[in-house]
Amino acid sequence: MRALKGVSFELQPGEVHALLGENGAGKSTLIKVITGAHQADGGSLFVAGGEVVHLTPSKARELGIACIYQQPSLFPDLSVAENIGLRLQKTGAFSRVRWGRQRSRAIDLLQRIGAEISPDAEVRSLSMPEQQLVEIACALGSGARIVIMDEPTASLTQKEQHLLFKIIRDLRQGGVGVIYISHRLEEILALADRVTVLRDGESVGTNPVDELTESQLIKLMVGREVSSIYPPSEGEPGEVVLSLEGLGCSASGVGGVTMDVRAGEIVGVAGLIGAGRSELARILFGITPADTGGIVLNGERISITCPREAIARGIAYVPEDRRRHGVILEMPSAHNMTMASHPRLFPGNWLRFNAESLLAREFIRDLGIKASGPEAPGGSLSGGNQQKVSVARWLATRPKLLILDEPTQGVDVGAKSEIHRIIRRLAREGLAVLMISSDLGEVLGMSDRIAVMRGGRLVEWIGREQADAHSVMAAALGTNGKDAA
Amino acid sequence: MVLLLVIVLEVILFNSLGRRFLSGGNISNVFRHSVEIGLLALAMTPVILTGGIDLSVGSMMGLSAVLFGMMVNSFGVDPWLAGLAAIGFGALGGGLNALLITRLNLPPLIVTLGTFSLFRGLAEALTKGAESYSAFPKSFLALGNSDVAGLPAQIWVFLMVAAGIWLLVHRTTFGRSFRAIGYSAEGACYAGIPVARNTSLAYIIAGAVAGLAAVILVARLGEARANAGIGYELLAVTAVVLGGVSIFGGSGTVSGTLLGWVSLAMLNNGLTRISDYRIMDQTVASVARELSGLLTGLLLLAALAIGAWTKNLATRRARGQSHPENPPRSSPP
Repeated sequence: MRALKGVSFELQPGEVHALLGENGAGKSTLIKVITGAHQADGGSLFVAGGEVVHLTPSKARELGIACIYQQPSLFPDLSVAENIGLRLQKTGAFSRVRWGRQRSRAIDLLQRIGAEISPDAEVRSLSMPEQQLVEIACALGSGARIVIMDEPTASLTQKEQHLLFKIIRDLRQGGVGVIYISHRLEEILALADRVTVLRDGESVGTNPVDELTESQLIKLMVGREVSSIYPPSEGEPGEVVLSLEGLGCSASGVGGVTMDVRAGEIVGVAGLIGAGRSELARILFGITPADTGGIVLNGERISITCPREAIARGIAYVPEDRRRHGVILEMPSAHNMTMASHPRLFPGNWLRFNAESLLAREFIRDLGIKASGPEAPGGSLSGGNQQKVSVARWLATRPKLLILDEPTQGVDVGAKSEIHRIIRRLAREGLAVLMISSDLGEVLGMSDRIAVMRGGRLVEWIGREQADAHSVMAAALGTNGKDAA
Repeated sequence: MVLLLVIVLEVILFNSLGRRFLSGGNISNVFRHSVEIGLLALAMTPVILTGGIDLSVGSMMGLSAVLFGMMVNSFGVDPWLAGLAAIGFGALGGGLNALLITRLNLPPLIVTLGTFSLFRGLAEALTKGAESYSAFPKSFLALGNSDVAGLPAQIWVFLMVAAGIWLLVHRTTFGRSFRAIGYSAEGACYAGIPVARNTSLAYIIAGAVAGLAAVILVARLGEARANAGIGYELLAVTAVVLGGVSIFGGSGTVSGTLLGWVSLAMLNNGLTRISDYRIMDQTVASVARELSGLLTGLLLLAALAIGAWTKNLATRRARGQSHPENPPRSSPP
């Protein structure tokens, strides 16, 4: 998989240049190339007119490139002044630490960005936005000419946002080039000078912001036509299998989710990364149990406090992270497939090897899994086949509700359409399917209805007929005037 | 495979150096004297399969032995009943480990390092550091010193425990879940495996078997002291790891553990034989007993190195042969 294909990007001094794109469009990869964390395998990079070859993170810092990530990378047990000092001073192993100077410098930098943070505070005690401010102070202090901000406002309050925007405008005044990544279109329109839109690893154009509207930006982001390769929806959905009534879990930031899923229906769950979609799945599966609202499954009001209970109730969850959660790579495919069905398949806790091998062979044939046999370790299979093993594990539990989280992420094109056909067939056979996906084409092509989540809430339902890339993306970004309920 | 070779080599070597190594009497002696370590190794196997470790089993033996001796000597409890109670105390100690590990998510190494000191300390406090208990009925001491059907009595107990642990690890869903937890506790959780419950089971069994080992040790020595089983936990871990169980959890077999234990037991006994019979030059012979630790270490490291080396070789060969689906990446246009 190629993450970036021939992208051209240019940043002027004193410019705020926004970088925009769907999940997986290549923004992070581009940033990693610019900061030296990844090596580009083609093309060239110029800083202040000079070509840079073999950029490494330390070289990038010398060149004045600073990056402020969503998750600040400070030392939690050191004070603010010490953290700033560590970034700025080039100290050898045995050189003196000038505590006084370090502290006064930190005070000066924090003042310049208007942050009310004590230089003696332990970083652990700071909130996430405060830590981001410390990162910005570091960038400022190091005299960075290029400052990259990756979704800096994701965790900020309104007031902190205003402070941040002021800092960014000051940086621009001072001739610093800022690369600004955000999903919030209104911010980009208010702040940026130019915007480059990435789609599928390619640049679809750089435009001055004054020439664009929100609607045009969304069009640039989603661009492509939904291909017709998706298997068609058929038949009428049956009984309501699952209904959620204001479901929420404060620990995972999801609240007030109300929805119905019917037998034989595929409900797509769209939204940006961090919108709370996987968190919702984990609530339903009992990994982070709900603390508000209710779950009704097959007409019965239930509470789910652990995955075992969810499985017993007929809820299956094919997790997003296949290699960490979906399949145990070292174990044989057959063991992986039966792992969630031990109580059903092995009464009295005695393993039944014949039954296990029979079931595995059936799934291998049925789902078209390319494996040398039931004994082939999960890790020896390709991504698509691993995903099928993960699906088989959950079908073996004979579920009534199947939750799929990014079912085709990192899967090649052929396996992808096979998995889509399997999902459609399962729905036809009466399974209720909740499909979380960041792949817009997949959501549009597969779903009978689409639930859009934003900020931990279900913000919009879109029917199959009304659904198009534009409407889903607009709802996910929250630019249609309606806000979180 | 490597271990079988080691065992054959040991037999040949010790048989040529020391007299009567292969005699029936000596072989049963080898096993009689190492049953306790064998039991601990068996008990440790499920724990290590889950990716954990239990360093407290040796100390648990000391504590169980003292409690057992007290019950029989000071309170006149029937030794068989007291033996069952000692196993129960062991299970309780294992339960304490399990509680700290699964409820508080503390690392097993640290938790059992703590209970390693705690249990031994309790045993010493109960005996005020010096007391021992040695008034046991003959019928009980027979467990440690007599033969039943041509084999040492305690070997029959050992074989029953071995069969039980083998069934648990290789034939039940618990064994399957131990492996899953060892490979990826998070992955096991996402598959609905009751990770905390099953991990706890492994530690509780380890404690209970340590209690049993204490009773057998007391029966063999005729004495219950607080220092019973000192250093046994590391010998048990050595046997398990020698037997090919991955210290990171997941892979390993009970038969591997048994082979590891046999090769370790023979090594120690064989070296003792050499020094006992003074076949070799005297200075070398007296060194032989001290060599035991050194050779145990060498055996472990060599077995691990050979294991890792053959595995590397196998994967390299596999990689060299097949991967037509990954052609070299073409350069960008």
